[in-house]
Amino acid sequence: MRLDFIEVCGFRGFRDKVRVDFGRGFTVITGRNGVGKSTLCDAVEFAITGSIDKYSVEKAAKESLNDYLWWRGEGTPKAHFVTASFIDDAGKPFMITRTREAGSDRSPEEIQAALCSGPVPDDALKQLTRTSIIRDEWIAALSLDLSETERFDLVRAALGALEGSGAGGRAKEVVVAAEAAHSRDEAAYEAARSRLADRLAQQSETQAALSRSGDVSEALRTISAAIPDAPIELTARLAAGRNALASVRAKLSRMGEAVQLGREIAARQATFNAPEAAAAREAASAALEAARRAKEAADRVITEAEQRLAREEEADAIAASLTLLVEHGERLGLHDDHCPLCAAHRTSDEFAAGLAAARRRIASLSSGVQDARAALAAARDQARQPALDLERAEAEVAAHANEERSLRAQEAAHVDFYTQWNLDHRFIGDPDGLEHEIATERDRSINLERALLVLDASQAVSRMSSIESEISALRDEIERLANAVSQSQGAVTAAREIERSVKRVSAEVIDERLAQISPLLNELYQRLRPHADWRTIEYSIRGDVRRFLSLKVGNGLNPQFVFSSGQRRAAGLAFLLSVHLARAWTPLRSLLLDDPVQHIDDFRALHLVEVLAALRLDGRQIICAVEDPALADLLCRRLVSTSTEGGRRFDIDINPLGATGVVNEEEIPPLPVGVLRNAAGLQVVSGT
Amino acid sequence: MDILTQAEILLRDAQYETWTWTASTGPVTCFESAALMGFVHVFDSAEALIDGWKASQQLALARHSASLRGAGTKAWNVYSVFLTGGRAPSRSREIERIEEDFSLTRKIARASISIQDDVEKALLPLLSIRSKPLLGASNFESRLRSRLKDIPSDAVTAFLNDTPAAEVARILGATS
Repeated sequence: MRLDFIEVCGFRGFRDKVRVDFGRGFTVITGRNGVGKSTLCDAVEFAITGSIDKYSVEKAAKESLNDYLWWRGEGTPKAHFVTASFIDDAGKPFMITRTREAGSDRSPEEIQAALCSGPVPDDALKQLTRTSIIRDEWIAALSLDLSETERFDLVRAALGALEGSGAGGRAKEVVVAAEAAHSRDEAAYEAARSRLADRLAQQSETQAALSRSGDVSEALRTISAAIPDAPIELTARLAAGRNALASVRAKLSRMGEAVQLGREIAARQATFNAPEAAAAREAASAALEAARRAKEAADRVITEAEQRLAREEEADAIAASLTLLVEHGERLGLHDDHCPLCAAHRTSDEFAAGLAAARRRIASLSSGVQDARAALAAARDQARQPALDLERAEAEVAAHANEERSLRAQEAAHVDFYTQWNLDHRFIGDPDGLEHEIATERDRSINLERALLVLDASQAVSRMSSIESEISALRDEIERLANAVSQSQGAVTAAREIERSVKRVSAEVIDERLAQISPLLNELYQRLRPHADWRTIEYSIRGDVRRFLSLKVGNGLNPQFVFSSGQRRAAGLAFLLSVHLARAWTPLRSLLLDDPVQHIDDFRALHLVEVLAALRLDGRQIICAVEDPALADLLCRRLVSTSTEGGRRFDIDINPLGATGVVNEEEIPPLPVGVLRNAAGLQVVSGT
Repeated sequence: MDILTQAEILLRDAQYETWTWTASTGPVTCFESAALMGFVHVFDSAEALIDGWKASQQLALARHSASLRGAGTKAWNVYSVFLTGGRAPSRSREIERIEEDFSLTRKIARASISIQDDVEKALLPLLSIRSKPLLGASNFESRLRSRLKDIPSDAVTAFLNDTPAAEVARILGATS
């Protein structure tokens, strides 16, 4: 299988359609910088994988390589596609076309089926392009500059999938499964031990309960006496007993309160009914009566004084009227010996005597008011003390009445308390009797509680036998689980041993394979001769889990650090070519090199050309892009062209319209044979 | 070791046509393939090589000058191989510098040629890739079985037969 042709349009720097028909033997592509030589390698890679791997930076300024896959220059391409065509040794073609619009016309599986065979590595198509296309950018990066683990992985991938390559993953799965089973066994074992610990604690508690056991029948009698209608079933009877006990305790508390209340009432009654208290109450009643009488007498005196004052004040009003009349009469005087007031015939004397008599009468009438007022005030003064006395006596009598009412109310509340809590009314007035009753009831509750404890203990007996059988079963289970843990631990150990052995055997297989390709690396290194003194290069593999592949020259020196850039590239080429040649999983015999001679001097470039010529001799198709026309000439001369595997040379450039195109295409014919044998061409020369 | 004979054997193995003619300086082996042609000159010592390679080259080219003139571009693919069994460590670099002279022919110059491998290394630029890694079957299964003698064989068989991991673990003794 080799490349037949590549056709691109609107791809990268190719605006117009360009087709390159590769020579079956070799193809040399030449052109100045930037005309698109590398794009032809890109196109092959893109056709196979759908991407281009050469850029280490995937994104820049929010743009990725994908934004630059297709033509972005002046003008509009007629189409956007890449077609790569391969042809096998029987002449059967296999073509892949990827368009911008529709993607690939081949699935990755189809492409892999055509281009890979046998036990392929992971990500086979990527590995195929990585090991088939040797780019300037990657010569050092993919060889000397790789970390040792990456280098190991690259070589291992190039070797393809090895026998038993999936065994490592499966062994890991077996370890995980065995560990999971072991974890489950351990968890079950721990859970059983935890249950056993619980049961052992219960056993101890039950044992303690058993130590309190007594006469069960006596206890039952006690409970029956305390709760005549208790259920027969033991647990229910125990529950009823505990309820009854709680009720008795509550009742005892109420009875205690009732005793307290009864004693308070009795004390108050005793105080209230004492002879001194009764005498005091009678004295208070008598004092009230006396005070009431004294008050009434004083009130009568006041009434009388008020009546007298009224009368005096009435007489005083008459005297005032008379005074006005007398004064009027005096002013008028006798008129014709007649009284001006009553027209009676009067003499002056009589008139004067009448006036005098009147004035006396006025004086007598008015003089009684002052006395009456004084008498009333005195009476009122006299009545004040009896009023105070009465008030005091009434307060005292009221206080006695209040005390009695309070006592009666307390007595009623006491009765209500008895009623409310269903206490025996016989003890309402008998706190001592009630206290005696409390003592009796407490005795009964203690007996009930003891009986309940005894019954509890009797239950513990049956519980104990259940716990003991459970403990025995648990011990058996723990024994079984311990064996399972031990077995699963053994399984984990065995699984890890399998995993270790798989790793070791795989590592040995890889090491052997690497050892097998080591001479190839050395031969290529010797052919390329990067260094005049260090003529050999060695693989060195280290590590068990992580594998390292280091390259050493001379006396264990790392070429990465002792070689010049040109020497590093030459050594890198040797490495990449050995990886390319070691692939056994692809029928593709095409090697593409994109400008492999940068930084390499003419002498080493010549060595590279000789190496490529040697690869050609092995029937490989060499496709090489170079900038230098002289180097292209050398390649065209040195890479063997035969009638069946001819060579081609393409010169590409940018045409006047700004599009890249093939400006020269040339078949490289086979060279003449038998040149030196041609006797006619021999000259006689002297040996001097 | 006859260096010339060994060189001829190697070149013939590599599909070259070879023949020898004797020049005044000694025998010269000619070789030619579809792409290359050239001459192998053997010297008695490193000094003789250093002193005589130019004359030997000139002699061979002169003898074939007419043929080479008619060979077209193939005339650019002429190799002059200068070999000697003589040892001259102090002059080996000087000898190899001859190869960097690009005038007239591509040159291969080596001293201390004592075994066939030395001849082969010297002629490598003319030969196809010699190392062909034989990546055969690795007998992974039998090697793994041999390593796992202490593991029950039914478990190893189950493992190698892609039996589910949990089942392999069960066979190994994990019971839960």
